[in-house]
Amino acid sequence: MRAAILVVIVLQTLATPTFDVKRPAGLDFVLQNSPTPQKYLIETMPGGVALLDYNNDGLLDMFLVNGGAVASPMKMPENFDRHDPKYWNRLYRQNRDGSFSDTTEAAGLAKAGEGNYGMGVAVGDYDNDGYPDLYVTSYGTNILYHNNGNGTFTDVTAKAGVAAGGWSVSAGFFDYDNDGKLDLFVTRYMEWDTQHSKNCGQEWHTYCPPEEFPATTSILYHNRGDGTFEDVSQNAGIAVKKGRALGVAFADYDADGYTDIFVANDGMQQFLFHNNKNGTFSERGMEAGAALSEDGRRLSGMGAVFQDYDNDGRPDIIVTELPREIYGVYHNDGNGTFSYRSLETGLGALTSGSSGWGVGLEDFDNDGWKDLFVAQSHVLDNVEQIDPSLHYKQVPLLAFNHSGHFERGESGIDAPVAGRGAAFGDLNNDGFIDVVMTTLGGAPQIYLGHENKQHWLTITLRGTRSNRDGFGARVEVKGQTRFATSSGSYESASDKRLHFGLGSADTAQVEVLWPSGKRQILSKVHVDQFLEVREPE
Amino acid sequence: MIALLLCFCFAWQTGLADARAHLRAGQEADKNRQFDTAITEFRKATEMDPTLIEAFVNLGQAYMEKGEYSNAVTPLTRALELNCELAPAHQLLGYALLAQGYAKQAVPHLEKAGEQSALGIAQIETGQLSEAVRNLQAALAKRPNDPDLLYYLGRASGLLSKQSIDTLLAAYPDSARAHQALAENYFVLRQMPQAEREYQEALKLRPNTPDLHLELGEVYAGAFQWDKAEEEFRTETRLQPGNAEAAYRLGNALLQQGKARPARFELQRANQLLPNMPETLYGLGKAAALDGDATAAQQAWTQLLAIEREGSLAAQTHFALAGLYRKQGKIAQADRELQEFKKLQSPGAQAQPQ
Repeated sequence: MRAAILVVIVLQTLATPTFDVKRPAGLDFVLQNSPTPQKYLIETMPGGVALLDYNNDGLLDMFLVNGGAVASPMKMPENFDRHDPKYWNRLYRQNRDGSFSDTTEAAGLAKAGEGNYGMGVAVGDYDNDGYPDLYVTSYGTNILYHNNGNGTFTDVTAKAGVAAGGWSVSAGFFDYDNDGKLDLFVTRYMEWDTQHSKNCGQEWHTYCPPEEFPATTSILYHNRGDGTFEDVSQNAGIAVKKGRALGVAFADYDADGYTDIFVANDGMQQFLFHNNKNGTFSERGMEAGAALSEDGRRLSGMGAVFQDYDNDGRPDIIVTELPREIYGVYHNDGNGTFSYRSLETGLGALTSGSSGWGVGLEDFDNDGWKDLFVAQSHVLDNVEQIDPSLHYKQVPLLAFNHSGHFERGESGIDAPVAGRGAAFGDLNNDGFIDVVMTTLGGAPQIYLGHENKQHWLTITLRGTRSNRDGFGARVEVKGQTRFATSSGSYESASDKRLHFGLGSADTAQVEVLWPSGKRQILSKVHVDQFLEVREPE
Repeated sequence: MIALLLCFCFAWQTGLADARAHLRAGQEADKNRQFDTAITEFRKATEMDPTLIEAFVNLGQAYMEKGEYSNAVTPLTRALELNCELAPAHQLLGYALLAQGYAKQAVPHLEKAGEQSALGIAQIETGQLSEAVRNLQAALAKRPNDPDLLYYLGRASGLLSKQSIDTLLAAYPDSARAHQALAENYFVLRQMPQAEREYQEALKLRPNTPDLHLELGEVYAGAFQWDKAEEEFRTETRLQPGNAEAAYRLGNALLQQGKARPARFELQRANQLLPNMPETLYGLGKAAALDGDATAAQQAWTQLLAIEREGSLAAQTHFALAGLYRKQGKIAQADRELQEFKKLQSPGAQAQPQ
């Protein structure tokens, strides 16, 4: 009898999906990628999503990047008409009841910038005024929106000097020189424009592989602290190597106190820019073992996450890729090098047929191990015609982490979509991580994490000597480590709050190593709370 | 009367002499690739001496060299009327007929000439596929690097195979082999659901047929369903414990799922059954490394590099060795392997210097 009850309980537990698939009221965004018969490569690449609390009311709001109108064929000069509101980027303020209100116009974000075709978004408080700012990447010029603190934003791109140009994809704020001011890294994909687009494929016209176009450089902007940035890409060693960069993620992989950069490149080796602590970087991907697959094959790197999946205190790297490549897991071995562990971690079996974009390592079930979520879809919208064993629309991957080994989880999501960007955060402040995933040509997917009996702790860092967001801090709670950032994934920015699943623990010790070098320990912290940790002056 | 006879004899002999002169002139022109002149001369020779076989043969050949196969037929036929055993005339007439699509008519001439390559090609057209394969194989044995022969042998074999399969499908559509044949066809077309369905049908009818589970396992592997692939490969290894490929495939399926220990066992078994296959050694090294046995991994990969020093698998192996040494903290050795990898690496994998 007892065994039967146990079986029922186990079955009920197994049957409970991790997420509720929701369509909150007021969220009416559709990502307009405007596919054409020309198969312009930009059409398959947007778009990003950001989870941020722009009005500091304690609720996560949502910013969604839109593509733009694409003519078939495009004429020069290129103009992606974004006058029609359906092409605008959108800011949605979350209301107390979980619904959303479109505040795009009121916030001054309606004009997306003529000639731009939107890609991604980064979030960070670059001027340390306590309000998160937005940086929107595009094919065209990028835009920095300063958060005025009153529900509005101002386009300060020209003054700040961060327009970039070319084809920017992902971006992220981080403080590479530990001067307390957030700098900005922008990935750029390739040298491409609609006039130099090509016809690829044979029987079926397809989007071209990246090798068809010249590689280009990514950009590092140094924050001068006066509202302006300086392009230091050359002097810092970022522009030494050309890549086809899509994703970017930050962490201090060798624990030297300075944040390093991982860049996911498409169709070539991945870049690991080691911070030399003097304002320059050295690209060490190959030497560190984080550049290629285990077999030395180049990868179609798209999204990336730089967090500790096996709770050994060191940030590891997971890169999402195309089918037959297997998502790359680069385990940080602790001596400045990485070992490829996709097969050991179970991702070989889970991902060899998948195409991944946005990615996050988050503890969805609060058991103390970070799980893996990946937005999935093939690059080619007609891939089934070319290879019937592959699929354009795919169900996102949820893989639970069992002591460093990933196994497919019951997500509760069964509709295949063309997933692209993904951002992670606790939308409803219930202590369980939620996901927002963008879909090409469709509405964003909202996956709300189901509650269970496991405990949690969510920490907001408040830097004083360090940057106000605390980006770059290493936070350890009950044997788990997170590296503070809103970056990673693909074209997206996640909730800056650091979430820790704590299992059955009642209290926990919190240890913060700030970018300033300050170490701070908080003992017997109660679980199930949102805790602000302020850096000692 | 005698004078008249002498006169006729002289004229006839003069005519013969003239015919030979035209023949020589034609041969000279032909040598210089002046085919029109050669044809004129050969024709004059045949007119002056309608029994001059050599002139008829040369005339036919000149037409063929000029690409006028239809014009070649008459003089070559005449040559054979004069001497039906003349092999060069049979050969040329066979070519001329085949070039115009008269394969059936060409066959007897090519047979008499003993020209196996053209005969094989003609037999493809006439549907004598077994004979075509036999003749083309014989011709290929004499000219092993002839691309045309390789092509036609491939075509003949393919058609023979198709003929056999068509017969199978028509006569025994519900047989296990018919389902297997259909499944193989779907697999080639990468229509995996259909291939899977046909293999399942075949297995229902004859569950212990050798290779069926192996092939179904390949379908699952192609669709990245490694757990199902493992099951099929395992069944195949039970049916055919001596099949190295089945052991290798099973080892690889296990490896893809991160099952290091059993993968290693199967790959070791594959290596015992068919020693020193580079792919097996590479997989064996990966499985050993995954299993934490760096020494065994190093051994397998070193053995591979002794067999295969160049190519993509060698490059992969150097890269894998670099990773192995890096993990062990042997940075100098890792760097050395990395350099070897870079030397062998295919272009494009590295970042482009600005």
